[in-house]
Amino acid sequence: MIQILIRYSTLLFLTLLVLAFMSFSLAYLFPGDPLENLTGLVPQNEMQREALTRQFKLDGPYLIQFFHYVENMLAGNWGYSFTSGLPLREEVGIALPATIELATYAMLMALFIGIPLGYYAGMRCYSTSDHVINSTSITTYSFPVFWFALLLILIFSLQLDSAPLSGRISLLYDIEPITGFIIVDILLSELANKPLALKDAFSHLALPTLAIGAITTASMIRITRRSVIDVKHRPYIAAAVSRGLSSWQIFFRHILRNALLPILPLMAIQITTLITNAMIVETLFSWPGIGNWLIQAIYQRDYPALRVGMMAVSTVVITLTILVDLFNRLIDPSREKYERATV
Amino acid sequence: MFNGWVVRLFLVLFTALLVVSCGKQNKQAFYNSGIIYCSESNPVTFNPQLDTSSTTSDASSHQLYDRLLDFDPDSGRIVPSLASSWLVTNDGLTYVFQLRKDVAFHSTAYFTPSRTFNADDVIFSLDRWRLRSHPYHYVSGGRYPYFESLGLAQNIASVERVNGYRIEITLKRRDSSFLSNLATDFAVILSEEYASQLAEDGTPSKIDQLPIGTGPFKFVSYRKDHFIKYARHNQYWRLINDNTPETFADNESQNVAVNSTQQDETTLANSIEDASNTSVKQLVFDITPRSSLRLAKLITGECDATAFPAQTELEVIRTRDDLVLAEKPGLNIGFWAFNTQRPPFDNPDVRHALAAAIDKNTLLEAVYFDSATRAKTLLPAASWAFQNDADDTAYNPVLARKLLSDSGVKPGFSMTIWAMPVERAYNPNAHKMAELIQRYLRDVGIDATIVSYDWTTFRRHLQEGLHDSVLIGWSADNGDPDNFYRPLLSCGAIPSGTNRAMWCNKDYDELLNKALQTDNIDERNAIYQQVNRLLYERLPLVPIAHAYRYQAYRKDLENMTINPFGGVRFGGVEKTL
Amino acid sequence: MPQFSLYDEEFHPSPWQRTWLSFKSSHIAMVGLAMLGLFVIFSVFAPILTPYTAIEQNIDGLLLPPSWLPNGSISHIFGTDALGRDLFTLIIYGCRITLGSAFVTVVLAMLVGVSIGTIAGMLRGLRSSIVNHLLDALMAIPTLLIAIIIVAILGTGLVNSMWAITLALIPQFVHHTRSFVRAEMKKEYIVASKLDGANKWQLFFHSILPNMIEMLVVQGTLALSIAVIDISALGFLNLGAQASQPELGVILADGLDVAYLAPWNVAVPGMAIFLLVLSINIVGDGLRSALRKRVSH
Repeated sequence: MIQILIRYSTLLFLTLLVLAFMSFSLAYLFPGDPLENLTGLVPQNEMQREALTRQFKLDGPYLIQFFHYVENMLAGNWGYSFTSGLPLREEVGIALPATIELATYAMLMALFIGIPLGYYAGMRCYSTSDHVINSTSITTYSFPVFWFALLLILIFSLQLDSAPLSGRISLLYDIEPITGFIIVDILLSELANKPLALKDAFSHLALPTLAIGAITTASMIRITRRSVIDVKHRPYIAAAVSRGLSSWQIFFRHILRNALLPILPLMAIQITTLITNAMIVETLFSWPGIGNWLIQAIYQRDYPALRVGMMAVSTVVITLTILVDLFNRLIDPSREKYERATV
Repeated sequence: MFNGWVVRLFLVLFTALLVVSCGKQNKQAFYNSGIIYCSESNPVTFNPQLDTSSTTSDASSHQLYDRLLDFDPDSGRIVPSLASSWLVTNDGLTYVFQLRKDVAFHSTAYFTPSRTFNADDVIFSLDRWRLRSHPYHYVSGGRYPYFESLGLAQNIASVERVNGYRIEITLKRRDSSFLSNLATDFAVILSEEYASQLAEDGTPSKIDQLPIGTGPFKFVSYRKDHFIKYARHNQYWRLINDNTPETFADNESQNVAVNSTQQDETTLANSIEDASNTSVKQLVFDITPRSSLRLAKLITGECDATAFPAQTELEVIRTRDDLVLAEKPGLNIGFWAFNTQRPPFDNPDVRHALAAAIDKNTLLEAVYFDSATRAKTLLPAASWAFQNDADDTAYNPVLARKLLSDSGVKPGFSMTIWAMPVERAYNPNAHKMAELIQRYLRDVGIDATIVSYDWTTFRRHLQEGLHDSVLIGWSADNGDPDNFYRPLLSCGAIPSGTNRAMWCNKDYDELLNKALQTDNIDERNAIYQQVNRLLYERLPLVPIAHAYRYQAYRKDLENMTINPFGGVRFGGVEKTL
Repeated sequence: MPQFSLYDEEFHPSPWQRTWLSFKSSHIAMVGLAMLGLFVIFSVFAPILTPYTAIEQNIDGLLLPPSWLPNGSISHIFGTDALGRDLFTLIIYGCRITLGSAFVTVVLAMLVGVSIGTIAGMLRGLRSSIVNHLLDALMAIPTLLIAIIIVAILGTGLVNSMWAITLALIPQFVHHTRSFVRAEMKKEYIVASKLDGANKWQLFFHSILPNMIEMLVVQGTLALSIAVIDISALGFLNLGAQASQPELGVILADGLDVAYLAPWNVAVPGMAIFLLVLSINIVGDGLRSALRKRVSH
């Protein structure tokens, strides 16, 4: 147990170090001056430039520079955005939670709808209801997320006028970002008309969550169904059947848990897809998240922002992935070390 | 293992739903308390002195600030604003302005004014862009493109304080467009007290990022790519009715061309009376670059008004009952400018050839959907100096090919067309126009590539002169013809970044200066006709279209008017649901 | 000489034939295959099949409605776009570019992925563990992020977006190849050929690769559907193909500007991407279940 924990923390540490190095090298790979890309500050004259160069130890060898860079990142000194001139830590601090919030709700939707449906389809495999569920899921899974989001906007916002299409909340509300999660922030805020604000926030959440969640739900259904069918073909199920257990007993005693085990590592892969989809959908719904922010940054060639954004997003995704992996390893020690199932 | 967590989540959701269900009564009141405007891009700064883009002046000029003078949006006449009256000496060189009293500056989280508006603020605001020696001149870059492009600073001899509420401006040369220039979006009045406080704190550049003005709204917060929030300025001088303007009735019976315009005062006062019990407490700019998304938000009611509806969307807006589309012929010009400092575009023949290669009528149809008129010169028909019989280029690919081969441009020559990334009234879809031009140029053997960046980068690169040619345009800030000719093509406008053709011609500048020496309309007209001829011969840019100006808003907004001279105004706009 | 056959059962289909037979028995999979075939034919023979050229603008026919609307005409089945280009032609060229570049991307990723995966699979100990962990890290970085970084370094363009997607796809191939090679190395027939004195190259090309092809095909279809979605997504976000290239995502993004006036400009390209991905997924799904059936029998 402890050995596993140590293994995973070293893994996490090394991976983050590699990421930090990649993000550091981006400053040199991006067009323009590495000093500006690294700090986000544009020196006005030679003197300032020299001072900055010394401050960031850019005159030293690369290794020292990198070391200093990591030090700065850890101290929360991430540099400044070219376009807004604000500290990047502040900007990421606002944008990242918005994306995580969206992704969390979509993931919850996928878990609470996808897994039960997947179980149902898997238990009834090759029946009509299974075919319906399965073909619906493969259809949903094939939707390009940006088009799906557009269709949702077209139907629910423009035709039915039942949900707003942009932002997290009507801009008339002034919500202080404390946790970064809008719902929590509203509950924590001193707002006079909280219920109204909450309702507004929920209606803003509906469409983007649906857009991202639907596709993740579809793959969740497929993963769960596959896993259930695999388990059903195991010899111990046959043994249980021959012992005369009812199908409900078999399901609860054997299938439920055993089918859940292979799903977990696949969820780790889903996180990546989920975040990618969230980033695309954000631009369509003007959701003030990290995806929207990064895409604006690339349009505006805001290199320091890209460097930090890349670091922030991949850190979150990789940490989550490794945590899921670790969790999985802890509850299922029988698993071969780095095995992954197929969708 | 999830259980406790799940239960808690459901609890939160449940209570949330519970609270949601009780409390619909104050919904309307709340949504009526603010106006949301879907704007098209990020402002560069909150001080319109520093930038000529309409995004910046929309977000600042009429919302945060006032000017000494204003244009009446209907008649285009100059009416009093912070200056309640003014007089001009007969030689046209000295202007005296009487300033309004009891005009309050914004009181915000970052600044509390201790005094009301007075002559010091006017002198500070003018001196900041006028005098290089002024301590604030080089704050935020030290470029004042609008004033630089007009050479205004060089023409002002002095700005003197007569007393606390009266200032005197002396010019070196006569300038018949001087008052118009003071009424433009860019000639805003800043707070001198705020500036000196910032200077003490050692953070002078805050003056342009955390603005303080006298306008109907005060600044609250700004998040790039997302929103700008404003709150109502409760002490706004137009809301407080007992503001009796000082006039020159008592004094100086000298040679005067006085302006006090009592009539304008009363009409303004009327509209103000409506505004005094306004319910609008907030103004929000929702920054939405995509025009289709802006319209979508307008339809769903997430925006109350939107900037620059695309030409293709006008029909949709017209057919909907809950939306209003206001239109006015605009004072603008969309054009295709060549970088005349780069060969082979320094050769007028090449420029003529390129102009002959394109069919302007097609561009009008495809890009403007016929909501524009074909441009022959820089001036639209709404201007008094419009010349109906001016020379115009015609579509003639044969001529184009001949001119090109005569001037040594070989088939397969490649050039760039820069297409601006934002919609403007004068060019609603530069990219599409660029694609059409690209095809026309292919017909005459020129291989054109389309270049575009985001708006801020785009303009920076343009100023550096990295382009071969660019599709861009100009919206006038006042009705004076000089406001088209000078900023767009005079030598002085190259460094200030409004002369996209990088074209400098001594004769042209001389003619423009000559036109300002007289107040006689006919004389000026004759000079501008000469200017038009010169421009046709040299052709530093191809005028393409004068577009209508549109503004789309929801029916529940009242008092919304189109301002033909630049920015949108929300002072006095009401919302009723 | 005709052989005398007493029983039908003596027909022994090859593994590939068996897969095909079981694939064929699923109607849905066959429909998917037919659809995909149609897309491939469209892509390959685009210049022959299209009534217009992709860049041919027609100023007199801007935003003509598609043929199923009352005032649509048959000369433009899907109508025209804001530049008067025939939408049907654009879509076919779009499929060509999208599907073609996705295919190239997948093949590239497969080549690189299989080579790295094989090496990793044959390696043991620390080196193998390092490769694995690095891959895990790479795999977790969202494609869009990789694409954004590449665009920032190299600039926008279809080719650059293809590089990004290739990079993003490689780890999956590596992963599957590696676990496949590992599992296979333990099998008896490998041991047998080792005993015969086969070196690593021979082992790989003569023993492992032939067995791996099925896995690669299945993974390839999976990767292809991801690649199509990603390429069009990048085009849609204006980070991939540029406006002059009729890529499906770009056509969709262009259509968005006239969404109110000409909704078919959004509907048709989106539908095309959707159907393309759907047909690839159906074929992949059918293939996988056919293989699974064969293996389990």
